[in-house]
Amino acid sequence: MVVHRSRKPVEKEMVGLDPSLVALAILMFGIFAGSLGAMLGLGGGVLMIIFLLLALNIPAHQAVALSLIAVIASSSMAGSVYIKDRMTNLRLAMVLEAFTVSGAVAGAFLALSLPVSAIQALLGCVLFYTSVTMFRERKEECFESSGSGFLQGEFYDERACATVKYEVKNLKLGAVASLIAGAVSGIVGIGGGVIKVPIMNIVMKIPIKAAAATSNFMVGVTAAASAVIYFQSGLVDLHLAAPTILGIMVGAYIGTRLLAKSKSVVLRRLLAVVLAFFGMILLLKAGGLLAW
Amino acid sequence: MVNVEDLISLVLRTGVLSGVVITSIGFFTSSEVAWLGVLVLILTPFMRVIMAGLYFLSRKDTVYAALAAYVIMILVIGSFLHII
Repeated sequence: MVVHRSRKPVEKEMVGLDPSLVALAILMFGIFAGSLGAMLGLGGGVLMIIFLLLALNIPAHQAVALSLIAVIASSSMAGSVYIKDRMTNLRLAMVLEAFTVSGAVAGAFLALSLPVSAIQALLGCVLFYTSVTMFRERKEECFESSGSGFLQGEFYDERACATVKYEVKNLKLGAVASLIAGAVSGIVGIGGGVIKVPIMNIVMKIPIKAAAATSNFMVGVTAAASAVIYFQSGLVDLHLAAPTILGIMVGAYIGTRLLAKSKSVVLRRLLAVVLAFFGMILLLKAGGLLAW
Repeated sequence: MVNVEDLISLVLRTGVLSGVVITSIGFFTSSEVAWLGVLVLILTPFMRVIMAGLYFLSRKDTVYAALAAYVIMILVIGSFLHII
């Protein structure tokens, strides 16, 4: 396994771009990605990694490292609100995050020895998958449950004005999905909610709001587990860290305010098409068919 | 008596905001300060794992305390593995 011991200074391979211009671009895009992410329930990581890789041409491992830092910031901020509102199932999160964190550490190590094309290919596939999940309607089914049994949970649904109780099913499948989500997160620098939330909702029978809040809660520690490996390997660009974190947080704040219970189907579909497009670009790049 | 949920919320918010402020100061001053800011940010989610672990330990809920300990152990292993 290739291990990066030295804290080598981050190489600047961005062709002819002024470093402060790059920092400004990241700040602006972070605000955009953060607000759009908060509005559509899509972690900011997916948009951030596309921008860093394809618009700024930042080397893959450094782009993943910066994206992970952004993911920690936005998920921790949102997580602090969800848990205060009692949307998060803390016990379930603690069970599943043991798996996501294990996957994340393995993923980050694997990523350091993987060629850039492999990272691009995996990210391309993740973007296609994300695009498909965004086209699906987000139904809010009712889960009739006594709210008893192992890992049961409840939360207050503001829109329904009622307390929703639920039981957690198929914990084993959830654990496997968490392990995979963690590994993918560590390799391509996204939070992994897009893998966990549908499984938690459909297979584990957790209402979508509780599933999203609980997944988001785990994302912070998952991204941190792989980020620490990139950080120790000197792959976090310290000059670009500040605009990355600041941008995504300001954006998330704006997005939460703009949210206003908006269910923009058009916006979701538009973004789904955009993600599929960049997914294709990344697969072409990975196959050496496209020099961007 | 403080709720564990409120405590975790506070830890997360304080950690992230400190991380952002320190990293931003580092942007204008030195990369050592920025390094510290990023470290604070990365350690924030682990602080909340420690908090939750201690809470479950105090309630003699050993399964969840053990899960928290496992997550922290993975972090420590991960942060040392690059030296091998």
